[in-house]
Amino acid sequence: MDLLTILTPLVAGVALGYFLRKRRKLSLNKATFWIIIILIFSLGFSMGSNNKLLISFPHVGLKTIVMLFLTLFFSIIFVKIARKVVNLQ
Amino acid sequence: MIRYILLSLLLGGIIGYLNNCWGFHVIEVFVSDYLFNFALVALLFVMGIIFGVDKESTERFKKAGFRILVVPFAIALGSITGGLISGFLLSINPVASMAVCAGYGWYTLAGPLNGQLFGMEWGALGFTVNFLRELLTIATVSLSIKIDKYAPIAMGGATAMDTTLPVIVRYCGSDALITAFLSGFILSLIAPFTITLIATLI
Repeated sequence: MDLLTILTPLVAGVALGYFLRKRRKLSLNKATFWIIIILIFSLGFSMGSNNKLLISFPHVGLKTIVMLFLTLFFSIIFVKIARKVVNLQ
Repeated sequence: MIRYILLSLLLGGIIGYLNNCWGFHVIEVFVSDYLFNFALVALLFVMGIIFGVDKESTERFKKAGFRILVVPFAIALGSITGGLISGFLLSINPVASMAVCAGYGWYTLAGPLNGQLFGMEWGALGFTVNFLRELLTIATVSLSIKIDKYAPIAMGGATAMDTTLPVIVRYCGSDALITAFLSGFILSLIAPFTITLIATLI
């Protein structure tokens, strides 16, 4: 999938949602729930049927920890700096 | 919700593994390509509608002032920097690791989308890194609040608009509600864009 295939449905959704603002109630909870379940099921399926990935799984642990902690560290630091710069209480 | 997500991931993994052992290639193509891509597009579309229809968020922005936008953009920049540095540190593809970290905690998107863009190993990383981000935000909130008043919001990333919002409000106080929600809202909205834009760097 390319950039356009991924971003078109998102932009189309935002535009449609904007026009639906005047409508009274719009509940998408059930639809979202089932889409997520199907999506995560097929993610699991793709991972499970990928032998190369299953072999490399022990290495995923270390990568996850490093990425997680660096992401959180820089997020916190950058927010701290940004708050000082714009003087946000 | 988390219970059902983990269950469907596990079930998918087991069925995928068994299917691979039995060699039903047609089913694999159907689920891994068609169903996967269809559900990903459907999720982006439905989330788009949810973002677009949300009238209150626009009003909250007007009230809170646009200065509040520095918070989500600092979080986005921080997350991507963390991804870049861990890419070099682990000597793995830094572009893909930036994209994984640009999920900002939205694991139901970051997992599948990175899997689609960079291959299934990155899909697994996208899921675990962002899933644990949400979990760690909740688990460490009483400690992170001591580092900075906004640290739980920074950790929560995109999840600050829904799943981690109650915990953040409880520890950061009710005046943090609008900041946390708007920051999570913006990060959720830009996550698909930043992930796909980072992917074009390859």
